[in-house]
Amino acid sequence: MNASSLDSIPHRQGLGDTGSPAASGRHADAVRPPAGYWRLALPMAGKDGAILIDRRALVANLGLIVALLILGGLSLCLGSVTLAPLETTRALLGQGDAMNAFLVQELRLPRLAAGIATGAAFALSGCLMQTLARNRLATPGIIGIDNGATAFAVASVVGLGMSLAPPPLALAGAATATALTFGLAGGVGTRGYRFIVAGIGVGAVFGAVTQLMLARVDIDTANAAYPWTVGSLNARDPASLWALGAALVIGLAISRCIAQALNVLRFSDSVAAGLGIRVRHCRRGALMLSVGLTALAVAVAGPVGMVALIGPELARHVSSPRGVPLMGSALAGALVMVSADLAGRLMLAPLEIPVGIVTAVIGGPLLLWILLRPSRRIC
Amino acid sequence: MATTSEDDAPCDERRRPLVVPGLWLLGALCLLCLASLVIGAGEVGPLASLATLAGHPLGAAAASDEARFVILELRGPRTLIGLAVGAALGVAGALLQTVARNPLAEPGLLGVSAGSAFAIALALVLGASAATLRVSVAQLGALAGCAGVLAAGRLSALGQDPVRLVLTGAVLSGLLGALTSLLLMMDQRAADEIRFWLVGSLAGRRLSDLQAILPSLSLAAVITLSIARPLSALALGERVAVGLGHHPSRVRLLAIAVVALLVGAATAVAGPIAFVGLVVPFAARALAGPDIRRTLWLALLLGPIVVIAADIVARLAVRPSELSLGVITALIGAPVLVAVVRSRRLPSL
Repeated sequence: MNASSLDSIPHRQGLGDTGSPAASGRHADAVRPPAGYWRLALPMAGKDGAILIDRRALVANLGLIVALLILGGLSLCLGSVTLAPLETTRALLGQGDAMNAFLVQELRLPRLAAGIATGAAFALSGCLMQTLARNRLATPGIIGIDNGATAFAVASVVGLGMSLAPPPLALAGAATATALTFGLAGGVGTRGYRFIVAGIGVGAVFGAVTQLMLARVDIDTANAAYPWTVGSLNARDPASLWALGAALVIGLAISRCIAQALNVLRFSDSVAAGLGIRVRHCRRGALMLSVGLTALAVAVAGPVGMVALIGPELARHVSSPRGVPLMGSALAGALVMVSADLAGRLMLAPLEIPVGIVTAVIGGPLLLWILLRPSRRIC
Repeated sequence: MATTSEDDAPCDERRRPLVVPGLWLLGALCLLCLASLVIGAGEVGPLASLATLAGHPLGAAAASDEARFVILELRGPRTLIGLAVGAALGVAGALLQTVARNPLAEPGLLGVSAGSAFAIALALVLGASAATLRVSVAQLGALAGCAGVLAAGRLSALGQDPVRLVLTGAVLSGLLGALTSLLLMMDQRAADEIRFWLVGSLAGRRLSDLQAILPSLSLAAVITLSIARPLSALALGERVAVGLGHHPSRVRLLAIAVVALLVGAATAVAGPIAFVGLVVPFAARALAGPDIRRTLWLALLLGPIVVIAADIVARLAVRPSELSLGVITALIGAPVLVAVVRSRRLPSL
């Protein structure tokens, strides 16, 4: 994960520099970057090729990665059987006690991977959706996309007898819910709160449909599906996890490409169009990416929608205010998911609290705070 | 059915007598009650039930013991409780919408029901038993939920934006719901006691449950009758109400107390049921116009109609098992929510 090139603004000298007097010198060393940036010359991009690195974003992302590593290590060590760090490392390498190796490699490691992947996917898609709707509350979980994906995925359990949560159905459900929400709110735009409440209505319908279908199956199937309908990393399915991992890699790459356009998209459409952004194009791409990531993450972990709100919020706080913190959101989301899962496993030790409940308890007050504090900018 | 013919009503709509729609609704309600008695998920079919109903008072031997038991001990109480719960939720919705001046204010959406569910879960975890205390605890929780969301609204002047208040309420009720499930995970005994109550359903309730809430329902009815006129004055604006000799803040407090009484009682019996308080006043206003006094009378009839109809569907949809009532009301209510939100100019109350 090369963080240095991720939240930076690609910047080619000569396309419009910051007006530094040395720019006429045509020599890379003579160019002073704007305050708060580092300038990194790229030899392969020609003499004048360089990128600007946002110093604060870089530091924040590195910090998030360190925190994620620490928490990931903790989550491998702690649990019903507590392992010392050394033992865990040996178990990871396949040495030492066979029981420990099984515990770490078969149980905790996939769980950690699922936590990181789903957290990153939820938070990245939340950040994309917030940016394109220009509304901090417009995360996929709140506007009903999570519930749509859940309903369709549960339909596969009920109707087709397939294994839990096949990704294609979750994708179809998420797309349906998105189309409904955007279609129903079409007249009023995405900016206001009406859009959100229309989404809440759509989400309520899909939630009821999920319950309806769960009531129709026999009790064992319903029980198997239950933790997943509140959001849990317990019932993950390897195929879905691989699909999510692949989508996450692609999604991060695409979001890297449209980061600059998204930075501009925060302003009004006319400003963005004036700066040469193909607004519709960019918005459609971001929307599809966001919906796809949400759906695949739901297919793995169920609707843990609050991460999509907490992750970007955390990223905005630690990261630079200049750009849309896409990479930071993904990292923060993974961090939130892993720590919520760890807390849920440890709090009532023999019992396990589904991660969806933990994030709802954390995310609720945060949402209230966003809503109730004296209104500043929403985006 | 009080028509307001002696009032100086400015528009024609207010003069339109309520008797005709009222009678229609009453007829529909009676039919639904009958349907609720004769239709069920079990073995006793409609024809046998009708025969039992017709034969029983005359002492005919045709009625089997089983049919009699099903109708008198299971479906009868269920129908009566549906009447009470529906009336309570419908009237509470109409009152809350008037007080909040917001056509989207609904006890379930604003977190009032979630508040009382949380209070009951908390009381159970702290050691109370399910049989005692339930109604008053639920009402206290409802009051807290009501006060919480309305105070939040006042705090940041959310009152001007109806949709934002609903969003706050949705967040509040989501949070309370998560806390409730957390509490229940910590205490298995409490979870076992209220798991079936928490999903919102009329199944398996007894007549004694109804008796427990009757005092609060009648108290609420008395208070509602006394504040109906000040409330309709308040709908014209604070100054008009003061000029007519009412005390707006006192009236509002009383109305909120009534909402808490009603929602707490309904939740204590049937569990949290959302969207009834949204659909019923919506339909009542469509039939009767904006005057709160007329709306309340119609809500009193429409509430039971919605709840009993939803209950019948809940019994039939997934035979032989039963569905929770909240699912059906959400399926009816969410489209109404979207429709209200979509209407470009929200009718402010």
